[in-house]
Amino acid sequence: MMNGKQYIESLRKLKPRIYFMGRKIESVADDPVLAPHVNAAAMTYELAFDPRYEDIITATSHLTGEKINRFTHIHQSTEDLVKKVRMLRLLGQKTGSCFQRCVGCDAINALYITSYDIDKKYGTEYHERVKEYIKYVQKEDLMPAGAMTDVKGDRSKRPSQQVDKDLYVRIVEKREDGIIVRGAKAHITGAVNSHEIIVMPTRALEADEKEYAVAFAVPVDAEGVTMIFGRQTNDLRRLDGDVDCGNAKYATVGGEALIIFEDVFVPWERVFMCGEYDFASQLVEVFATFHRQNYGGCKVGVADVLIGATANVAEMQGIAKAPHVIDKITEMIHLAETCWCCSLACSYEGYKTPSGAYMPNPLLANVTKLNITRFPYEWSRLAQDVTGGIVITLPSEKDYRNPETRKLIDKYLKGVADVPTEHRIRMIRLVENLSIGAELPESMHGAGSPQAQKIMIARRSNLEMKKEMAKIIAGIKPDEHFKRIRGISEEEFFSKLK
Amino acid sequence: MRIGIKYCGGCNESYKREMIEEILKRELKNCQFFYSNNADLIVCISGCKKGCAAEKVSGNFVHFDEWVGENKVLTKIKTKLSELLRS
Repeated sequence: MMNGKQYIESLRKLKPRIYFMGRKIESVADDPVLAPHVNAAAMTYELAFDPRYEDIITATSHLTGEKINRFTHIHQSTEDLVKKVRMLRLLGQKTGSCFQRCVGCDAINALYITSYDIDKKYGTEYHERVKEYIKYVQKEDLMPAGAMTDVKGDRSKRPSQQVDKDLYVRIVEKREDGIIVRGAKAHITGAVNSHEIIVMPTRALEADEKEYAVAFAVPVDAEGVTMIFGRQTNDLRRLDGDVDCGNAKYATVGGEALIIFEDVFVPWERVFMCGEYDFASQLVEVFATFHRQNYGGCKVGVADVLIGATANVAEMQGIAKAPHVIDKITEMIHLAETCWCCSLACSYEGYKTPSGAYMPNPLLANVTKLNITRFPYEWSRLAQDVTGGIVITLPSEKDYRNPETRKLIDKYLKGVADVPTEHRIRMIRLVENLSIGAELPESMHGAGSPQAQKIMIARRSNLEMKKEMAKIIAGIKPDEHFKRIRGISEEEFFSKLK
Repeated sequence: MRIGIKYCGGCNESYKREMIEEILKRELKNCQFFYSNNADLIVCISGCKKGCAAEKVSGNFVHFDEWVGENKVLTKIKTKLSELLRS
């Protein structure tokens, strides 16, 4: 396993082609805009060496028997699924941000489960390839990015109907030694500071769309791969010092990139699906289930930091004992813990798949994520409410550093007497960082937009059974248990009352 | 042949579990059915993928944790019964 420092060093050995703000990034590990995201991912490595956390952050590989980082583990029990979300909450607390590494973890687990089923139907050898790849990832302790979302072009059209066929990643050539792929994946978290990219289809496909049914892995610096790092609200504040960002060390959310594949060669040993269109939807659903399971872990860990920040601001401003403030902070805790319950529930209700790996309960995992598209907006609203208008009107760090204005800011933005003004400013900036900007849309759209969860929830819940239950309770259909309890039918029982 | 039927607790079924029992009783008239593990074959019927019905079952059993259609239910049971008769 690598520790945090070794992970950062490992990134310096790679040469990915990355652009941001019109310039080429020379070193992901050292660029001031990207470095906080790197630090957040590094925490997933560092805690594996801390005896206080290693029980959660490490696991034993079922493939090699070696001790590995849990982010490279294939879940072997429901307890593994639970430990995964415990790990995510912990890392949210330690970084106050997205640490990005869950996507690759979910990708290898989804590939492990789906490749087994593909092989069973078609006699292919994908599962062995996936296992070999996972062994490599575990041995080298790599961070693969999971790349699912295609750029999609005209959303009213299927992949095969697009005017430009490259708007979904596709196979453009099959060769003796591998395949050539072309296309682009959008919003890919942690891509720029990953070692590998795992590509999967983004949707269900039909028989005439085999060229889009492709899953594979390539190094981030494979020839033909270009990444364009996305802008975030306030991202250039990172160049202004360590206060205005709010979370200067670990940034906010994951740092997403558009990844373009311009005729990239993938050797066969890294191809995990190639034309099996009828398994595209399974791979998407299994990956989505794993990824939606996460959000009641990581986002709740980040919420813990926001709740703490809000409570600190309340104390620093002398309002901590006001009943309405206590009530609002309690409500924030309630909302966060409700989401935590969802993640735990879908993990405990997980099950063994034919591959032997475990996956969470899909219905409950989707409920988890759907709550995350809502509750963070409410706990952020409460944080802003308690903090006050100053959350968007604070002077800049540069003005605070300017001796001409610092003394004025120190005097007039003071809260309670025994707290330095700078501490109050830092805490308010943290509330701003966690409750305004990229954090909320990430809660909305990360792991799929709300409607994707609604579709899965509708599909996975048994509405007919619920209708049947209602008919029995309403007295429209016979209640066999009532008859046993009373010894007579409902009709006879109620006729006596009339 | 004695067939033991073992249901999970049925907390949140994804299909009507009783359908499997009904099919078996209708189609396997030569078999005797019990709600007991003391049988030649145990049919575990779980309402969802959690699979609680099969959690502590060992020996000869088949397990259903989703609705797979009548034909597949019968095929799975008959295959297992054939295996048992051969052994």
